[in-house]
Amino acid sequence: MFELKIFMYNKKLKWKSDFEKSVIIENFLNRGWIKSQEKEDDSTDWNVYWATVWNQIINHFPNHYELTRKDCMVKNLKRFKREQDRETYEQQGWNFDFLPTTYIFPGEYSLFVEEFHRSPNQTWIVKPAARSQGQGIFLLRQIQQLKKISGTTITSNMTQLNLVSKENYVVSKYIDNPLLIGGKKFDLRMYVLVTNYKPLKVWIYNKGFGRFCNEQYTTDVAEIENMFVHLTNVAIQQYSDKYSKKHGGKYSIDALKFYVESAYGTEAFQKMIDDIHNIILTSLKSVQVVIQNDKHCFEMYGYDILLDNNLKPWLIEINASPSLTTTTPVDKNLKLNLINDIYNIVLPNDDFPDNEQKQQQINKIGGFSVLYDESLDLMNRKTQKRQSVKIWK
Amino acid sequence: MQQLDNQEILMKLKSSKQFWDIKKKIKQGFNDQQKIGVNDIQKFAQSCEIEDQLIKLISHILKKSKKRETLKEDQIEFLNTSKIKWTELLFKNLDIVHQKTKNQEEDDTNTDSKLYIYDEKNLLAFLQTFKQQQHSALYQNVQFQSNKLLNINIPLKSSQQILDKYQYLLLQEELQDEKINKIRKQIENEHLDIELEKIAQTFVPNGERCLLYLKYFEFDHQETILQQNFTKLQKECLNQLFYDELLEIDGHEISEDTFYFVFQEQILTCLKCFIRDKTIKENIRIQLQNGIKKEQTEFQLPITGFFPFKNISKYVAPLCYLSTKIHIIYALFKEFFCRYFCFLHAISSENNSILSLCMQIEEIISTHSPKLFHHLKVIGCDTLKLIIHQLVYCFVGDMDPPHILTIYDQIIGHDSLEILVILCVGFLNKYKSKLLLAKNYENVQQIFQELREDKFQELVQFAYKQ
Repeated sequence: MFELKIFMYNKKLKWKSDFEKSVIIENFLNRGWIKSQEKEDDSTDWNVYWATVWNQIINHFPNHYELTRKDCMVKNLKRFKREQDRETYEQQGWNFDFLPTTYIFPGEYSLFVEEFHRSPNQTWIVKPAARSQGQGIFLLRQIQQLKKISGTTITSNMTQLNLVSKENYVVSKYIDNPLLIGGKKFDLRMYVLVTNYKPLKVWIYNKGFGRFCNEQYTTDVAEIENMFVHLTNVAIQQYSDKYSKKHGGKYSIDALKFYVESAYGTEAFQKMIDDIHNIILTSLKSVQVVIQNDKHCFEMYGYDILLDNNLKPWLIEINASPSLTTTTPVDKNLKLNLINDIYNIVLPNDDFPDNEQKQQQINKIGGFSVLYDESLDLMNRKTQKRQSVKIWK
Repeated sequence: MQQLDNQEILMKLKSSKQFWDIKKKIKQGFNDQQKIGVNDIQKFAQSCEIEDQLIKLISHILKKSKKRETLKEDQIEFLNTSKIKWTELLFKNLDIVHQKTKNQEEDDTNTDSKLYIYDEKNLLAFLQTFKQQQHSALYQNVQFQSNKLLNINIPLKSSQQILDKYQYLLLQEELQDEKINKIRKQIENEHLDIELEKIAQTFVPNGERCLLYLKYFEFDHQETILQQNFTKLQKECLNQLFYDELLEIDGHEISEDTFYFVFQEQILTCLKCFIRDKTIKENIRIQLQNGIKKEQTEFQLPITGFFPFKNISKYVAPLCYLSTKIHIIYALFKEFFCRYFCFLHAISSENNSILSLCMQIEEIISTHSPKLFHHLKVIGCDTLKLIIHQLVYCFVGDMDPPHILTIYDQIIGHDSLEILVILCVGFLNKYKSKLLLAKNYENVQQIFQELREDKFQELVQFAYKQ
C-alpha cells in the first residue's frame, strides 16, 4: 500500500529508487526532485518511487505478470481469442496470428507430444516461464532432450512430465526462418507505455533497437546448441568473441525501418508496422479485463518481437522490467530520454494523474505517440489506428 | 566514338516502349483520316510535345551508344607526371605495409591502425606538394594567393556557378503523400536517364530508390547477368590475395559503426570481388594510378588498375540498405565507384576531381567566410585539413544513412560530385562559432568528437547562410 503526500508549502517532490541506475537518478535530479531522507528500508517519505517488481505499485500494475509471464501471456491470449466472436475481431482489425504454437508445461505436455509427432522436422524452443536474460532456454529436436528439465529419461508412453524445478515452462514452435540482415538473426526491442487499462491508453516509443546475434545464422543441426547463432539476448551475446562494446549488437529501429523500406518497398514496410501495432494492441486488450487497474499505476513494457523472412512479426514476450543497463553511449541516450518522456506523460508539470482530461488531446509527447486511446469513440478505433500510424512514422 | 546511322537508331527506337506509346498517340490523333502528310504529323507532334519526347528519346539512344572512355591523359601535363609520382609513392607504401604485416605475424601484436596504402590525409598532403613543384610560368595568369593550401592553375568553374546551381535545394518543402505517390509512379514508368535525373534532383522516396538507381544504370532487366557475374567473382575470392588482408582490416572500422556493423560480412565480400573484377578498368571514368610495371616488386596493381585505400568500405556501406541481394549491392557499388567516387581519388583537373573540389571549397570559404578561413590557418588547422575526411568519403560516418543516400541522389541527379562542395561549406559554417573559439588543433578535434547529428538539408541551409 502507498500514500501520496502533497506538500502544501513545498512542491519539491521526493524520490526513492530500488535501482542505482544513472538513467533514473539523473532524470530525478534534473527535475529538481529531492532524495527521500528517511532510512532506506522503511522510508515512506516519497512521492515518486522507482520500484522493484512485486507489490510495488507506481511504475507497475499489481498483477502485470498476466501479461509478462510467458505462460500467463499465452493463456490470456488464447482465452481472449476464444472469447471473441470471429466476426467481431475481424471487423475490429484484430489478428491473433502472431503467436507461434505454444504449449505450457507441465499441464499441456501430452498435447505437445501429439503435435511433436505430427511435425517431425520442427524445431521447438523451450523456455522457463518466469526467467529472463535467456537463462534456461534451449532448442529441442528430440523429446529426450526434455530430460534437462524433468531429470528423468523421457519414454514414449509418458502422458505427463514431472519437472525438477517447480517452475512452468513454455514450449513453442521455433521460428527457424527469421529475417536476416547481413546473414545474422535479430529480434526487436520496442517500448510501450500503458497509463491506464480501463479505458486502455497505450503510447508507443519511436526509438528502440534490434538485438543482433554475433554469428551468421544457420539451421544446421550441428549448430543448434550454439547460443551465439540463435539467442539474441545481450546477456548471452556479450560473451561472444565478436561482441563489440561500441555498438553492443544494437541496431537502431530507425535504421531498421529505413532498411526495410528501402530494400522491401513502402507497402511491405507499412504492413509490417501495422502488424506490429496489432500485436501490441491485441496483447494488451487480452489482459484488459484481468489486470487490476489503478490510476496511480503506469507501466513501461519492453516488447520482444521477431520478424520472419516474410516480414511477418511474431510476439516472443513482453517484459515488465526491460533492462535499463546501458551498454553504449547511444543506448544511454535512448534510455535517458525514454524515462524523461515517461515522466513527462505520467507527471506532466509534476501534476499527479487526476487530470486525465487535460491529456486527452495530446497525441505526442517526446518520443511517445498515442497508439490507442479507448476513451475516444470506440467506433472510430480503426481510423484512430491509421492516424496514429502516421504520427508514429 | 561510334556513330549510329538512321537505320540503327530506328532499330533501337523500336525496342523502346516509349516509341510505341508515341506512335499510338499519333495514330489516335489522326483517327479516321485517310491522307496524312509529313507536315500534318510534324504539326501534331509539335502541338502535343511529342516532338520533344522523340528528341529526348533519340538523344538518349545516341548517348547510350557511346562507349564509355576512361580518361587517361590530363590536359595539364604537370598532373600527368604527378600521377606517376603518386603511383610510385603508393608502391613504396605497399612495400612498407607488407613489411609491417610480416612483422606483426611474428610479434603477434594487435595494432593494425596503419595498415593501409593511403588515406585521405596522405592524398591531401600529396596535392599540397604541387605548390612547390610547379613552374613559375604556370602562375603567370593566376593571382597568387599564398594563404590557400592548394592554388594551382587549373581551369576551375566559378564557385558562384556551383552555389547558384544548388540553390533550389533551399526551396524544397516536405511533400504531401499525393505528390510522393505521383513520383513513385513516375519512377516505375520512366526509362530516360534525363527524366530519372530530374527526379533524383528533387525527391526520391525510400521505397523506390533502388529501382531508380537500377534503371538509371540500366540494370533493371539484367538481374540474372549481375548474379552470374557476381558468382564468378565470388569463386575467384577463394584464391587469397595480399589485398584481402588490407580489406579485412579496413572493415574493422565499419564493424564498429552503429549503422553499418550488421553489413560487415557483405561489405567485405563486395570489396574482395571488386579488386578481382576485370571489367572495372574499362568501365572506370578516370584512370587512378599510372605506374610502370616494376620487375622487382612482389605485388603489382590489382586488376582494377588502382590500389585499395583506407576506408574504401565506406563507399559500399550505405548501398547495403538498398537491397537484400548482395549481387545488386555489388553492381550498384561498382557503378557508383566507376562513375563518381573514382574522381575523389584522381590526380586530375576534371571538375569532379578531388583537386577541383578542394579548390572550390577553399575559394568559397576564403571569400564568404574570410574570418573563419584565416583563423583556421592561424591555429594550424587549414580548412581543407578539417573537411578532407567528409569530402573524400561523402560524409559516411558523419550523417545517417538516409541523408547519405540523399547525397547519392544528388550525385546522380546532376551527374556530379559538386553537392559535396555545398555540404562541406555548410558543415564549416555550422560549426563556425565553435571553431572561431578554438585555440589549437586539439580543441578543433574535441569539437568534432562530441555526439553530433549532421543532416543533409541542415548543411545545405548553412551553406547559403552568411
